Amino acid sequence: MMELQLGPLGSAGVFLAFGLALYGAVAGMLGAQRRDARLQTSARLAAVAGFIVSTAAVAVMQAALLTDDFSVSYVATTSRIASPTWVKVVTLWAALEGSILLWAWLLSGYTALLAVTAPLSPLRPWAVSIMQVVQVFFFGVVAFLANPFEVLPVPPLDGPGPNELLQNHWMMAVHPVLMYLGFVGLTVPFAYAMAALITRRPGTEWMTQTRRWTLTGWGFLSAAIIAGGWWSYEVLGWGGYWAWDPVENVSLMPWLTATALIHSVQVQERRRMLKPWNLVLVITTFSLSILGTFLTRSGVVSSVHAFGSGPVGPAFLVFFLFVTLVSFGLLALRWDDVRDRADLDSVVSREGSFLGVNILFVALTFAVLLGTLFPLVVEAVSGDKVTIGAPFFDQVTLPLWMLVLALMGIGPLLPWRRAEQQRLTHNLAWLTGAFVVAGGLAWLLGVRKVYPALTVGLAGYNLMSLGLLLAGALVPRLRLAKRSAFAVLRSYAHESRRRFGSMIVHFGVVVIAVGVAFSAGYRVDQQIRIDFGESAEFDGYTLTAVDRFVERTPQRISSGAVIEVSRDGRPVRTMTPRLNVFGDSRAVPTPAVMYRPSHDLYLNLNSTVGPTTTFVVLRVVKSPLVTWIWIGGFILVIGTAYALGGSTRTVPARATVRAEERAQA
Amino acid sequence: MKKKTVYALLGVAVLGIAGFLISQALSSSLVYFILPSEYARDVESFEGRRVRLGGLVEAGSVQYDEQQLHLTFLVTDGIAGYPVRYDGAPPDLFMENGGVVVEGKFHDGVFVGDNLLVKHSENYHPPTDGSPIDVEELKESLR
Repeated sequence: MMELQLGPLGSAGVFLAFGLALYGAVAGMLGAQRRDARLQTSARLAAVAGFIVSTAAVAVMQAALLTDDFSVSYVATTSRIASPTWVKVVTLWAALEGSILLWAWLLSGYTALLAVTAPLSPLRPWAVSIMQVVQVFFFGVVAFLANPFEVLPVPPLDGPGPNELLQNHWMMAVHPVLMYLGFVGLTVPFAYAMAALITRRPGTEWMTQTRRWTLTGWGFLSAAIIAGGWWSYEVLGWGGYWAWDPVENVSLMPWLTATALIHSVQVQERRRMLKPWNLVLVITTFSLSILGTFLTRSGVVSSVHAFGSGPVGPAFLVFFLFVTLVSFGLLALRWDDVRDRADLDSVVSREGSFLGVNILFVALTFAVLLGTLFPLVVEAVSGDKVTIGAPFFDQVTLPLWMLVLALMGIGPLLPWRRAEQQRLTHNLAWLTGAFVVAGGLAWLLGVRKVYPALTVGLAGYNLMSLGLLLAGALVPRLRLAKRSAFAVLRSYAHESRRRFGSMIVHFGVVVIAVGVAFSAGYRVDQQIRIDFGESAEFDGYTLTAVDRFVERTPQRISSGAVIEVSRDGRPVRTMTPRLNVFGDSRAVPTPAVMYRPSHDLYLNLNSTVGPTTTFVVLRVVKSPLVTWIWIGGFILVIGTAYALGGSTRTVPARATVRAEERAQA
Repeated sequence: MKKKTVYALLGVAVLGIAGFLISQALSSSLVYFILPSEYARDVESFEGRRVRLGGLVEAGSVQYDEQQLHLTFLVTDGIAGYPVRYDGAPPDLFMENGGVVVEGKFHDGVFVGDNLLVKHSENYHPPTDGSPIDVEELKESLR
């Protein structure tokens, strides 16, 4: 009997998915153009079938990883028998080929979901087809350039295991998936925007159809960036979470443009303005996610977590150029249809503030792009090898972030069209008061650095803004209905999910801003040598090196030091920073972190520890308020989910249908 | 029409200020990656400026004060060599004839580093038979 071979099976799945995507793209577009319902339906069915087939391919890869089938090339190069099960599962996205397979799979899942759930509209067939065009590229890369299912004639007995930095922390199971869910989610508005351009329907239809997809993609991307920061904090051993590394930058850029987008679409919904601008943002967001993948997967930028070179990088570059040229070309062709006819009544209005925040986010994107690409330009022109350090990004982006915080407070308080002078003055007085009080309080308490003090001031200002917003919404309701304040708040939060959700998100942003300002501004970072049995002082703490240890599990060998931390003579915590060795790989420093609301204490081993060593060298970092970044990120995600939950502002057509149904019932 | 002119002027002003700030920030935070011989050729322009210095750790030059955590060694590319001072423990895999990249500044011919990275390259092996080091290849392998 022939044994079931996983490699050819997986390959077959990938090729079939490629074929189905190709068929769906062609059939869908033909069907849309000829208004042929049967062709359109068959394209939608192809989308569903593509998802089923690619799910099977992913399942085959999981089976190969879990059964240590080293005849499959990807398993042989990235997996290891001794790895625990969860590591084997996440090994799917621990290297290039698998992560593109995952991306393609998620993309096919979103396409199938879109094909099944999207309401019938002239845009739908085009949108589904465009998703399938993107799928053709991704499955093409998986099938022809980076096939993880290649069969090795002589399989090795064991593999090297995934990159040791990745298997050292569970966060790696989460971060890439969130990132791809974000990128893929933001592909949907791109597909709809293209459909709108092709069908000459650049109105609000494509946005209302994709509002949830955009917000979902944005939420996942936000969560991914926060999770990535947390991962690097827990794993990389320098006690920081953001280094303006190219890989971090390329994930930030689409987030910035997507953030601009979710604000500016509201202007188009309400005022029918910024039509071309929204299209530009959608296209840019999608292009940037492809460009980012090119930059990080081609080895053109030096980065701590680049995946190395190969044919995949150039393919992404070609796809990036294709996407950019075709979509901006299409926009240019349709320019007469999309041009704005309305004009801004006053800069001091809701739409004016949305416009301002858009300019800020685009400026931020441009600054990050420039800092990321400039070294490439310099090398191409002069041959000098240069890097752009964090100081550049801090210098350029910090003032912009402060302006973002300032607009975030005043914008939601401004009415559409034109602000009334009296109300504006009243609100500004409250906001300025809060800014001065909070900033002044911080100053009195010893915060003498400009940006942290400014951030505290702006945090107070934003909290006041949230308070004014809530008061503005709740006070009239309280007067009308004689119910408790809590009941009124609950019904308001329920009725205006989007508005209330945005308040939660903005609150999360304030929390993150404070965390970043203090952890970056007041970080204490020191190398300390301690003999075993002795103690050393560090910023109010006494660290005692009590003992050393070596632990062996089948998966890894850990060696480290036992450090007793005490403050004012009272023991606080016992911490065990260590070095982990997985198989034959190099030792990975694994810091020990003491999470506290006021500040974290972070210990990382800077020397190897063996049975005979007499001392330990520690990198000790104290970062004030750093935990609030993760908490703020959590709040932000909750707020996004809240805004997404339940029905958003109902589309008038649907509301009438419902009213009719109710009337009939 | 008038409003548009105002917007256009405002836009140009904002872009101008942003461009100025960005170019200022760029020129002040551009960190060159150089080898010792490149420093030797152009000592003036790199003096006191933040650079990333790459090269090999010269055999027999490593001195490490375990008590005070002072590390000194010579970094060389076969043509020129300079002493490097670094406050901290040598990182894992730091070894003689191994590739390193140090971030810091030159002060009177001594490089004071604050960040020391070991560059473990699979592609580059320093010649063991005494033949001269290929500088270009070394630089490429360390980047």
